[in-house]
Amino acid sequence: MASALRAAILGHVRVPVVANGSKLLAPLWTHRTTSVRSMSSHDDHLEKTQVIDRILDIVKSFPKVDPSKVTPEVHFQKDLGLDSLDNVEIIMAIEEEFKLEIPDKEADKIDSCALAIEYVYNHPMAS
Amino acid sequence: MSGAASYLARRAAQKERVRILYRRALKDTLNWAVHRHLFYPDADALRERFDANKNVEDIETIDRMIADGESQYNKWRHPDPYIVPWAPGGSKFTRNPEPPAGIEIVYNYGREDH
Repeated sequence: MASALRAAILGHVRVPVVANGSKLLAPLWTHRTTSVRSMSSHDDHLEKTQVIDRILDIVKSFPKVDPSKVTPEVHFQKDLGLDSLDNVEIIMAIEEEFKLEIPDKEADKIDSCALAIEYVYNHPMAS
Repeated sequence: MSGAASYLARRAAQKERVRILYRRALKDTLNWAVHRHLFYPDADALRERFDANKNVEDIETIDRMIADGESQYNKWRHPDPYIVPWAPGGSKFTRNPEPPAGIEIVYNYGREDH
């Protein structure tokens, strides 16, 4: 009687220890093998597409800009209807995004997305 | 004609001075305000001060206003501004990593064999 009851209970209750354990371990293992994480800071120069994406994101998130008008060639004042002080603010946002310090006179000359992309892409310390 | 050209040149120089003054003042605002939520109202106030005199036409008045703004900026300049680490004065300036193994420097000052 007792053994029959025990068999019946064990038939219904499952404690899948081994299966569960392997499921827990599996994602960790695949994570370690698939994700490439560079531990070196050398040779981390930005790719052009990355620079373009990040600069366009900055310009699109500027409050006075219509995001649908933003393209990689857009001129801040002629095409987006900004004024010169907005231009200064955008350049400062770009400096912060790429951890740069652009000299005042050079920053003053950057007035379009194309120039900003070129400057940041060619800057050795952009990251 | 030369009068108009010199007027335009002077206006262009003034515009550049204003842009650079605004840029420096905005950076200095970020130096004084340690958090973003403190920086935004300060930056808006700065922008309002610049926008208030947006439509001034008289060239001498503009010169005086710019000089006044620059002296105010110099007076309130932050003594210890943030400098990007790699830039001169930054915390990582001239702190270079060791050369990779296998590269050695021969200290043989000026007596190398040519």
